Amino acid sequence: MSATTEVQKLFMTETEELLLDMEDALLSLESDTENIELINQLFRAMHTIKGAAGIFNYNAIVDFTHPIETTIDRVRKNELKINSTLIALLLKCKDHTWALVNASVAEDELDLTSLMIQSQNILAEFNLSEPISPALPSCPQPFETQPISPERIDERYTDSGHWLISLDFKVDALRNGLDPLNFIRYLQQLGQVLEVICLSNRLPAFEVCDFESCFLSYRIVFSGDCSKEQIEAVFEFAQDDCDILILPSQKISESFQNLIDELNPSENQRLGEILLTIGAITERELTKSLNLQSGHIPECASKKLGEVLIANQLVDQPVVEQALKKQTQAREQAQTIRVDSNRLGQLINLVGELVTASAAMRVMVDKYHLLDANDQVSSVEHLVQEIRENALQLRMVQIGETFSRFRRVVRDVSNELGKQIELTIQGGESELDKIVVEKINDPLTHLVRNALDHGIELPEQRISKGKSPTGHLMLNAYHDSGHIVIEVTDDGAGLDPERIRRKAESLGVIEANQVLSHAEILRLAFEPGLSTKEKASNLSGRGVGMDVVKRNIEALRGSVELDSELGKGTKVTITLPLTLAIIDGFMVGAANENYVIPLNMVEECVELNQGEWHEQQKNYISLRGELMPFIRLTSFFNISQTNQHKRESLVVVRFGRSKAGIVVDKLFGEQQTVIKPLGKMFQHLKGLSGATILGTGDIALILDIQGLITEVSIGAKKHHHVAMIDD
Amino acid sequence: MKKILVVDDSASIRHVVSIALRGAGYEVIDACDGKDALNKLNGEKINLIISDVNMPNMDGISFLKEVKKHPRYKFTPVIMLTTEAGRDKMEEGRMAGAKAWVVKPFQPPQMLDAVAKLCLP
Repeated sequence: MSATTEVQKLFMTETEELLLDMEDALLSLESDTENIELINQLFRAMHTIKGAAGIFNYNAIVDFTHPIETTIDRVRKNELKINSTLIALLLKCKDHTWALVNASVAEDELDLTSLMIQSQNILAEFNLSEPISPALPSCPQPFETQPISPERIDERYTDSGHWLISLDFKVDALRNGLDPLNFIRYLQQLGQVLEVICLSNRLPAFEVCDFESCFLSYRIVFSGDCSKEQIEAVFEFAQDDCDILILPSQKISESFQNLIDELNPSENQRLGEILLTIGAITERELTKSLNLQSGHIPECASKKLGEVLIANQLVDQPVVEQALKKQTQAREQAQTIRVDSNRLGQLINLVGELVTASAAMRVMVDKYHLLDANDQVSSVEHLVQEIRENALQLRMVQIGETFSRFRRVVRDVSNELGKQIELTIQGGESELDKIVVEKINDPLTHLVRNALDHGIELPEQRISKGKSPTGHLMLNAYHDSGHIVIEVTDDGAGLDPERIRRKAESLGVIEANQVLSHAEILRLAFEPGLSTKEKASNLSGRGVGMDVVKRNIEALRGSVELDSELGKGTKVTITLPLTLAIIDGFMVGAANENYVIPLNMVEECVELNQGEWHEQQKNYISLRGELMPFIRLTSFFNISQTNQHKRESLVVVRFGRSKAGIVVDKLFGEQQTVIKPLGKMFQHLKGLSGATILGTGDIALILDIQGLITEVSIGAKKHHHVAMIDD
Repeated sequence: MKKILVVDDSASIRHVVSIALRGAGYEVIDACDGKDALNKLNGEKINLIISDVNMPNMDGISFLKEVKKHPRYKFTPVIMLTTEAGRDKMEEGRMAGAKAWVVKPFQPPQMLDAVAKLCLP
């Protein structure tokens, strides 16, 4: 027996005290099984002894006390009930621990060995399902007999960009000099090994097991800033003796999709090459898959490469789909010709002239009753219309490309702000005029940044509000009666109507006691100077606020609407005309002037007899029970009525969700209308958006329906006559 | 300390590889051909073998077959050195149990990486 040092003596005294405490606690527990304080005392005793023994390297004590500590912990968590059997067993453990302590301090190897065998027997009585050996903190290796599916592991690491590496060693692996542990250690040099699971389900029964063969499989959760190629290189020498699968997590898979999106593949690039470029597959995986594809295995031979890759779990399905989409796009691009947009503009102008000229021809034919020419002129008219439609089609582009540029913006901004944001794009195939697309980019960027910066909250804030930590931003586009509607929707904080109101009041935009509906208050956000965030950030809120967005969109004859619920999110809806050049118009007359209303805004025309008419003194008319504001063109444009028309008509127009009536003297009908912008001098005229030249050589003014509707609603609300015009 | 046997008939390669390995924290035994290697091994425990293919007296593949017969070296990983031209020997080496190949000429870091993949210091 070697001499005991002071420290060892201290250890023994401490342990003895703890064990005595434990004994007391156990005895008290017999009568008071629910006392959590006593159970805590037990836990502390085992925990402290284990910790102290660890310092002295008394592994026999550590190995014995660790599972006991785990068991007591399960009692603490109510997973296990304390009963007399357990108390008896724990008392036995207490005595055994003391024996182990004595033998360890005395360094009596022989005694210790026999005690350790006893340890195993005592622990076996616990019927522990957990592993007996203490888990190493650096490399936990819980044993599981069932194969782990990637999804199960994925659930636990949903937020991180990690890889799941699956290694199934073949029987000869050890004989060929491979050491599975060495690979895992090497992997630790590249990044962080988050979890290692060893699957022993292939292990044969003990009696028939060949211990020189390898039957183990590993599932490794690995996180590191490296490519799939680099990870594959770690297992370079194991390829023959191990089935290796390197699976990306959801997040990495998404980043692959983004990378594909940013890629500009040439027309002939193969699927495999695209995936190789972005690092979704490695050279070896590609070669293997191509071999499978061209090989003699019937179920692989007829398959496409993408299918083979998915079937072998080398690439996720969405990634393959994205790559195929990009490939198709590239091929489509190959079949297109690039044309100078000025030339296209010129063509459209000429088509416009042609439309006017053919209308003039029709006028002549009708005027001089040239019946012989009638058929020819009709067919020319028909052709002109087709040419017009085709010419306009040439300038149409899909909005998808504009939308997908925001993927990058969203990714960068969310990284910068520490937010988690997911972008969904819908309706990317909706087409609209190239010029409109170009001009919509700025306002759209502004809206998206607003949503990212002010709208969507930080993950912690979102969780505290009971939302998912990931914010969602959606860009959606669809066609609606000759217009394209673009929606920017987020599920962020939403706008606070109270704050907007206060700000508007302080700026004098509204009066303090003014009654406003929710929608009207939200509309105030478009007033100059009403950027709701107090502090400007470097992303948005640089003073160019929503008013600029609104102005830009209105310059395109479009409109923008806001819909928001505090705490739930915001939706901005932009409505834009599909084209800026030629429209189908509906011509009406008021006094002796001609006006054109864009046909797609006309809902219906109603003739109203005079008797009924005069009853409507206010600016509202009841049409089949529906109350609607209206405007009389003659009074709006301040034209003196020279000849009193007895039969006036009401044209019902619709823009977005608002409807209004326009009272006119005459209805002329449909008319192809080439929009000529008004000169700079007239740009501030309300209610007019342009002019057009008629076949007769006369000029018709094109009504700005949206502007009129706004005027009408405001006028009607103020309860005085609308008959005024800025001068 | 992990022990590595380096077998190559070129003294300069043996020298460079040994220095690199020692620098990385391995113990090194070197031999100039298969026969010399078998003599020097003499049942001693080693963790990895690096061997050239073409050598006088006993070539790399024969040496490999011989050394693998010994129960002590049954599981010892082997890295074979080969040249671009010697690729046809690879299949033969593979059959004899060599799984890792390093193509000459190589830089020491390349060799160290290959060694680390099989046997970290």
